Amino acid sequence: MNLAFLSPLYLLGLLGVAAPVLMHLLTRRQQTRVKFSAVYLLLQSQKRSIKRSRPNRLLLLALRCLAIAFFSLALANPIFSLGKGEDLFASAPASNVIVMDDSYSMGARSKTASLHGEAVSALTTTIKKMPDNSEFSLVFASAPSRIAQGWTSDRDVVLNLLKVSQPSYATTQIGKAVTQAVELLGTSSKKIKRIFILTDLQKNGWDKEDFPENAAGARDYDVRVADFSGLRDGENRAAVENLDVAQEFLSTSRTLRVKTRVRSLAPGKPADRLSISLWIDGKKQGEGFVNLPPGGAAEKEFSLPYLGSDPAEGRVEIQDDALPADNVRHFFDQPDQKIKTLIVDGDPRTVAHQSETFYLERALNPFSSSLSDIDLTISTLAELPRYNLLNFSAVALCNVRALPLQYERELEAFVLRGGALFISLGDQVDPKFYNEKLGNLLPVRIESLNQVGLEDSPFRLKLQPSEHPVLKIFSLNTLKEMENIRFNSLYSVEPREGRKFDVPMRFENGYPAAVEANVGKGKTVLFVSSIDRDWNDFPIQPTFVPWIQRWVKYSARSLESIARQDILVGEPFVWENAGEGGYAQSPGGKISPLNKNSMGEVRFEDTMRPGTYRLYRASAMTSGKAPGPPPQAVFQLPPGAEPAGGFTVNIDTRESAPEKIGEKEIKDRLAGMRVAVAAPPIVEETASPGKNFPLTAPLFLLVALMFFCEGWLVRRE
Amino acid sequence: MPEPTSAMQDTEILSRISALKIQARNLVEGLLSGQHRSRHKGSSVEFAEYKDYSPGDEIRHIDWKVVGKTDKYHVKQFEQSTNLKCHILLDASGSMGYVSPRPESRAMNKMDYARVLAAALSYLLLKQFDAVGLILFNDAALTHIPPRSKPSHFQHILHGIAEAEPRGITRIGQTVNSIIERLPNRSLLIVISDLLAKEDDVLKNLRLVCARGIEAILFHVLHPDEALFPFEGDIAFDSLEDDPPVGLDAAEIREAYQNLIREQIDFYRKNCPTLGVDYVFMDTASPLEQALSYYLLKRKSLGKR
Repeated sequence: MNLAFLSPLYLLGLLGVAAPVLMHLLTRRQQTRVKFSAVYLLLQSQKRSIKRSRPNRLLLLALRCLAIAFFSLALANPIFSLGKGEDLFASAPASNVIVMDDSYSMGARSKTASLHGEAVSALTTTIKKMPDNSEFSLVFASAPSRIAQGWTSDRDVVLNLLKVSQPSYATTQIGKAVTQAVELLGTSSKKIKRIFILTDLQKNGWDKEDFPENAAGARDYDVRVADFSGLRDGENRAAVENLDVAQEFLSTSRTLRVKTRVRSLAPGKPADRLSISLWIDGKKQGEGFVNLPPGGAAEKEFSLPYLGSDPAEGRVEIQDDALPADNVRHFFDQPDQKIKTLIVDGDPRTVAHQSETFYLERALNPFSSSLSDIDLTISTLAELPRYNLLNFSAVALCNVRALPLQYERELEAFVLRGGALFISLGDQVDPKFYNEKLGNLLPVRIESLNQVGLEDSPFRLKLQPSEHPVLKIFSLNTLKEMENIRFNSLYSVEPREGRKFDVPMRFENGYPAAVEANVGKGKTVLFVSSIDRDWNDFPIQPTFVPWIQRWVKYSARSLESIARQDILVGEPFVWENAGEGGYAQSPGGKISPLNKNSMGEVRFEDTMRPGTYRLYRASAMTSGKAPGPPPQAVFQLPPGAEPAGGFTVNIDTRESAPEKIGEKEIKDRLAGMRVAVAAPPIVEETASPGKNFPLTAPLFLLVALMFFCEGWLVRRE
Repeated sequence: MPEPTSAMQDTEILSRISALKIQARNLVEGLLSGQHRSRHKGSSVEFAEYKDYSPGDEIRHIDWKVVGKTDKYHVKQFEQSTNLKCHILLDASGSMGYVSPRPESRAMNKMDYARVLAAALSYLLLKQFDAVGLILFNDAALTHIPPRSKPSHFQHILHGIAEAEPRGITRIGQTVNSIIERLPNRSLLIVISDLLAKEDDVLKNLRLVCARGIEAILFHVLHPDEALFPFEGDIAFDSLEDDPPVGLDAAEIREAYQNLIREQIDFYRKNCPTLGVDYVFMDTASPLEQALSYYLLKRKSLGKR
């Protein structure tokens, strides 16, 4: 137990107790002694008069003395501590590092504002009471932890920083923040060194490996952990944990399917009829309810027709609770761009279904409607020179024997500029032409035709689950189905020397089935069999449509249109194929130019705010020249900047988990230091460890009570 | 050879005796003289009443004149004149030794007042040829002078009274209880006390006395200081008996004290008559003659002779 005084000078006021005592002694009459017969009656009379609460001058004197004493004590600002407290506000100089947990879980509501607000308020009170010669530094502990203020003895600097600080949307990184704090204290020359950690003790971010190990000199450090979780007003019931957006084609329309998973954060309590809503472009497009089992999760799917071609920016929201940050998850959907594709049929027939491109045409544009992403143009070899390849994103050569004279150069320029070339082989193909004329485009040489007899077993694919953008959508069962496709004929290929390429699909015998290579800014894909039913029965398989669509889109760089959903707050976004760069527009409207860094990447790191980030490419149209790198800083988008997609940044829901770290674990993490974990009022009033009670207010109440009793006694007299 | 102090005491006692004698004599002579009459009927010269003859009555008491006139047998009855035996119980406890510290107080000291009262009563009774005894007591009987009716016995009584020095604590009830067996029937018990006893059931024991047919008179003697508590200021009161000293502001408790004393007097004044005990409150500021005459008149008016 400990009693400390914040303003001990006021204790001199205790001398004032002498005043009523002196007055009492001066006014007291001289006591005489008398021998009396009925003393027992006097005693009875005295008792009776006390019972009647008649004023007693000694009692009055005591009351007055106590009133003066309590008043002096109250002014001296006493703090009573149950623990082995230390006077935080003693005049000894101290270095104080404030580690402020500004993760989004600190944005949980409290009775007055938020836990973060409570922490700032408590800290402000504490800092103001520190002696003048103290020095301070401030470390914010949300990921990435950072030193917001180095050592300063001007407390107002720290207070102003705290005042304008807000809880971020990032997770906690207490360990790294403490490491930074220890490093800071290592540079301080003051004798007393303290670390204040203001947090809600959310378990996420207390990874042991982040904490300093055996920091030299850290043994003397006082670490005071203030737990603000008790001030949370209400319960954080649930969080939107995941969100998937997919476009699906129905017979005549396109459907946007938003699938979300909501997780219960109340382990012992189910949440029935938790309202959930879907918002797209600021309008509510769907609403429903989910029933969450205790500690479990529930999924909810919204489907809605989506006719527009503009990107959709939306969010899924659940019913409000104590922690608003995890009740929302954003998504961004970019409808696939139209891919103008030129298909060159090398084996046209008068009977439609016998044509080489019959199946390809129907697979790429299944409904013959404008909804399809792929705009097809079918051409024969003879018609080919009539088309300007600049108008197309992709060219498919299907069973083409040989290209018109010099056309291979045009095709090469097309691919180098960024175009996609898909080549399927067949009985019309002249391997010699391909090997000689298309050597710059094909990384492999077409060697020999392999055919199986009617009695022989056909070639079959050998597929494994893959992360390849085209194949990753196919499940294991689907891949098994694909392995049953019968291939009767195919060309074997041999790699060209020094060429890089990829073989995403192979046959059982190890022959490549598809060969992919990057050429300039474009891509070439070679399929070693035919794209009609002449050499295989692939075109009539259900997997053919998605397979060929994805290949075309992928090779035309449209498959991964920039609509990423999986970026968490604080994670960088790397813009592949960004060219020289572009612009990113944050949810708040801030425009950041994106330039290539030294690694040749276009990275955007300022993803600290959840929401949709729009990407723009600098337009070549306005300048009349190829787009160069954007300037270092802009305030508005340059005219003609073209939307290039977007991505969403969402919070990491691990921070919402209800698990708290225990005092034992904290002491384990901070082994070697003197650690005290306490509730926030202690930080607010005294910031000392143990159970502390400020006695100022009770003493003032006692003063009032003394005066009340004194007045009452005098009035009775 | 007696010690000088004891000689001085003797001298003081002797002078006190003579003063008492004079005081008592003066006091009594001035009052109406009277005789005690017994309530018991018997042989005497004083005719009391007739009663019908019944077997066993003495034939010589039959009034033959009445028989002759009325032809009925009536027996004459006479009042019996007896010598009264009186015990005076004089409280000699410490509380009786109260002497007022206030110079302006003109009241007699309580013990002196009680002494004179006891002496006067003795003289009065002896003059009527009644036997008078004296018992001095505090928590027990200190001195016991058996009752005698000889005029010379007065001197013994006076000696006993003069010797009484207030000390010790008061236990009236206990004293009465201890002597009750020794009191003869048809006697008179006079108790002179300030009745300042903490835990003493006086009335309970007086009830026993009355139950034996003994007349009891209770003289309650208080100094005006004890009744009115006229002190001022912070005073440390030392007890004359065994109470612990108490320091207090007299004015603060005056009212409560007066109430207590008043309650005590009222208690005796109310309860004594119900037991057949005569209760007389006497303030030492009031003249003894007045108190005595008031008492005798009162007894007369009540028909108790």
